Amino acid sequence: MDIRDELMEHVPRLRRYARALVNNRDLSDDLVQDTLERALSRTEKFKAGSDLRAWLFTIMHNVFINQVRKASSKAVHVSVDDESIVETEFAVAAAHTQSLEVRDLDYALQRLPAEQREVVLLVGLEEMSYTEVALALEIPVGTVMSRLSRGRERLRALMAGAQPGAKLQVVR
Amino acid sequence: MNDQPVSINEEDLHAYVDGALSEERRAQVEQALEQNPALAAKVSDYFSLNSMFHERYDRVLNEPVPARLRPRKERNWRDAMNWPQFAGMAAALVLGVGIGVGTNMGRGVPDSGTGMASTTQSSDTRPVSADSTEMFARRVAIAHVVYMPQVGRPAEMGQGHEEDFVRFLSNKLGTDVHPPMLTKSGFQLDGGRMLPGKDGPMAQFMYRNADGERLTLVISHRKASSNTTAFKLYQDGPVNVFYWVDGNFGYAVSAGIDRNVMLQIAHDVYAQLTSATAG
Repeated sequence: MDIRDELMEHVPRLRRYARALVNNRDLSDDLVQDTLERALSRTEKFKAGSDLRAWLFTIMHNVFINQVRKASSKAVHVSVDDESIVETEFAVAAAHTQSLEVRDLDYALQRLPAEQREVVLLVGLEEMSYTEVALALEIPVGTVMSRLSRGRERLRALMAGAQPGAKLQVVR
Repeated sequence: MNDQPVSINEEDLHAYVDGALSEERRAQVEQALEQNPALAAKVSDYFSLNSMFHERYDRVLNEPVPARLRPRKERNWRDAMNWPQFAGMAAALVLGVGIGVGTNMGRGVPDSGTGMASTTQSSDTRPVSADSTEMFARRVAIAHVVYMPQVGRPAEMGQGHEEDFVRFLSNKLGTDVHPPMLTKSGFQLDGGRMLPGKDGPMAQFMYRNADGERLTLVISHRKASSNTTAFKLYQDGPVNVFYWVDGNFGYAVSAGIDRNVMLQIAHDVYAQLTSATAG
């Protein structure tokens, strides 16, 4: 078998997840690329017959968490409340007639702590079971549930604060 | 206990949204939701968040995968996994590699002087039958052309890995697959690989004879079942494809060799596969 062919089948989903996680097209594709390269460099560690998708998400998680750590150790402080960042990030969506709520989703997600964002997306977007998420992130199921609970509630509050009439403005 | 609803915690609400509760617990949560509009609103928001994720990010699934995300160490045809792209390259290869082993050059092959572009065009504009089995045959022909130039033993099946590979294919296809023996006709099994297909994965087995002529057998697991069909012939340039459908599976034998020989082989394949599933 050629694991490359196998990997290719998972690329679109890895990209979708990465895009939601990182919210920047180039950076999220970087994340996917790093993940694929790491996967290809250690294919011998993959047990044939086990779940390739779970394995890939585990690798992506490790790559992602490393990046988050590196970024925070560089200690460049960027305020998440800085509205100017938001404007530029959102500009890409202009062609789409998406609802305000959906467009604000990118922003709201980025305000979740990374480990909550992962769980919320793996469950909500990737539709993994709690057990699958626990395996992929190598954490106990109880931790999955508490991160999900906190993350999703926080996201809900953020989105509720972004309803029309609230201070976030519609981007042209 | 009847008046007082059982206590529902935050995690129950999430598990409810994610369909992770037992039947009994689900009923309890539903009861609580009926009695508590605030809880119901919360749960409804959680559901909305999940659908918003899809609304917002599912479009990434349809974006073409950038070149840098296609595994690329060996730069060859196998890395082109998108069928449309595949087709284009295959059309180019028909001319470029000149694999006309047999002499059955059909009317479909234009004058070689017209170059690549016109070949691509002619294959694109050829009326495509709505018949999905014909589409299948066409893909098989393309796959045959694309992979045939790899003269060496394909990496996918090294010596001794045959069993592993067959098991792997069987898993992917959801059935026991045993590549038929075609030694009687002079062809040795040479390799195999998994191909993505629109209707699900396809297993491709490659055979080669002493003269270096190649033959591929493709088995595809179709989503829709249909009755057994007769052998049909599809011809794409120098490549002849005999294909047939049997229940959930589509089979195709492709080669650039004499049709009568191929038909014989197709019968042989059919006989072996039928006896394998029956046994």
